[in-house]
Amino acid sequence: MIALRNLHRVYQVGTELVHALNGVDLDIAQGEYVAIMGPSGSGKSTMMNIVGCLDTPTEGSYQLKGQEIAKMSDDELARIRNHEIGFVFQTFNLLPRADALHNVELPLVYAGMKHEERRARAREALTLVGLGDRMKHRPNELSGGQRQRVAIARALVNKPSIILADEPTGNLDSATGEEIMAAFADIWKQGNTVILVTHEADIAAHARRVVRMRDGKIESDAPSPGPPAPVRMSGTPA
Amino acid sequence: MNLRESAAIALAALRANKLRSFLTLLGTIIGVTAVIFVVSLVQGLNRYVSDKLLQAGSNVFYVDKFGFITSQEEWEARRNWPEVTLDDADALHDGVRHARMVVAQASDYETLRYRDKTLKAVEVRGRGPGYEIVDDLTVGEGRHLGEQDDQRRQMVCVVGSEVAEELFGGLDPIGRTMRVGPETYEVVGVTSPKGKLLGQTQDRFVTLPIRTFQKYKQERGGFQIAVKSVDQSSLELAVQEARVVLRGVRRLGPGKPDNFGITTADTWMDFYQHLTGGIFVVTIGVALISLLVGGIVIMNIMLVSVTERTREIGVRKALGARKRDILLQFLVEATTLSMVGGLLGVLFGVLLAVLVGAVSPLPTAVSTPAVVAGILMSSVIGVVFGTYPAVRAAALDPIDALRYE
Repeated sequence: MIALRNLHRVYQVGTELVHALNGVDLDIAQGEYVAIMGPSGSGKSTMMNIVGCLDTPTEGSYQLKGQEIAKMSDDELARIRNHEIGFVFQTFNLLPRADALHNVELPLVYAGMKHEERRARAREALTLVGLGDRMKHRPNELSGGQRQRVAIARALVNKPSIILADEPTGNLDSATGEEIMAAFADIWKQGNTVILVTHEADIAAHARRVVRMRDGKIESDAPSPGPPAPVRMSGTPA
Repeated sequence: MNLRESAAIALAALRANKLRSFLTLLGTIIGVTAVIFVVSLVQGLNRYVSDKLLQAGSNVFYVDKFGFITSQEEWEARRNWPEVTLDDADALHDGVRHARMVVAQASDYETLRYRDKTLKAVEVRGRGPGYEIVDDLTVGEGRHLGEQDDQRRQMVCVVGSEVAEELFGGLDPIGRTMRVGPETYEVVGVTSPKGKLLGQTQDRFVTLPIRTFQKYKQERGGFQIAVKSVDQSSLELAVQEARVVLRGVRRLGPGKPDNFGITTADTWMDFYQHLTGGIFVVTIGVALISLLVGGIVIMNIMLVSVTERTREIGVRKALGARKRDILLQFLVEATTLSMVGGLLGVLFGVLLAVLVGAVSPLPTAVSTPAVVAGILMSSVIGVVFGTYPAVRAAALDPIDALRYE
């Protein structure tokens, strides 16, 4: 489903050229659970931005479900992000003035969906992550774990091809982090493709495949032993 | 992206910080308030003037020495012209075929006395027969002055209702004698009250027959002659006939300029419109400057808002917002903001106009076009000054915006 071929991304920092990606080839199939690891400056964030269609490569090809992304216009990229990508960020990135329901609705607003339908879809997604009773709460009235679950509901609501999570447990304590990882495991089991960007080995261990990056290249690509034991997330207090 | 959501965000932000919002919108509010108020005032005056000033005198023109002058130079040039006399009035009476009425008039100020009561500086009018039509007077008690009073230079007068009340108290003035300056006159009529015009009473006067006035108050010349034409369409003709008659009387050869002034209601109306037009232009100018400043303040606050919400913009873009969605969101916010200012301005302007109309003699009339224009202007301000911040917001790179701290 994802095919990266000889991907290069060059930034100009002052007068210096920085090769953030230096010839990356990677394939990810539908339904995979992949962790991308690497120290800072390894190019993993740059690759995530390109895979998430927030950025385009300087050189090379990126095909998503057979569509070439590399040469798309800003509006086409926005449409792909809206339909194909569900983002989960380290800092949750919820709109502070909007309640949980409205935050989850947002991708559907940009998809042009009718009000009633998107309300129903957003309720469904929030119920799925165990926040059926928190829909009218604003982010500052929710715990960190609840906020991240709102963000997960938002990522899922438009039924995207890829869930792209960038250090999703980075701002959470380890117990809540485990809970969120369990949520990702559930999502994956329902047939979603999950890509996890992290620098923590025990978080990466939840994935089924681990890609390690260094200096803008892929250093290793191997199956992961997987998480120790599956944990049910629904019903557990946040 | 729906407009309602953007408008709701803008309104929520307004409510969240009321003082800042008020200060932000102050320029717009003042601008729109000024426009509404001034337009209401000018419209009220216009209506008042056309209703009251021109009602009786719409097909009347005036002949006098100076005519309509607006400068010292004109006065210097005309002060050596001959005075207009009662003979001129008689000549016009005989010679202007399209005149329905020719009324000679003059006025002065005198002290009135009746027994121990004194009224100072009362307008004393000298009027030829037919004055009641030109002055638009009806008699409440007694009678009007007539032809005979004039020819015989009778010592009689008609008084305005205010003079009757103040000088005679509860007594019936008819048949009583009073002093107008040094002479004594018999009151033969009291006019019905006319009320106030622009805060000035119209009922404080004494009218004497013109020839009586000439004999005792004004030895020679210095008259004004009011000529009422048969109807509106013959006014222009009557003016021409009056010119011919007077040039004849004064033996002005061809090519010589007139040495008398003719003033029509149009002259007054032109001058009035010139005057209010000036006020109008100046105020609209001030209002536009105020709106400009208001717009710049709105632009500034929107730029602050874009910076404060850089992250939000990044998130929205990551979730699929296109450039035009972000552009529209911020444009709608700016326009909502400025329209709230416009609505407040309309509210204040209307209140001010109604208040001024109620407590001062100035007439005001709130006009719907002005209200519509006020709201329209404020929304245009929002669009014009909201564009730059909105373009900035729309052009943000999603990655940079998401990373913004």
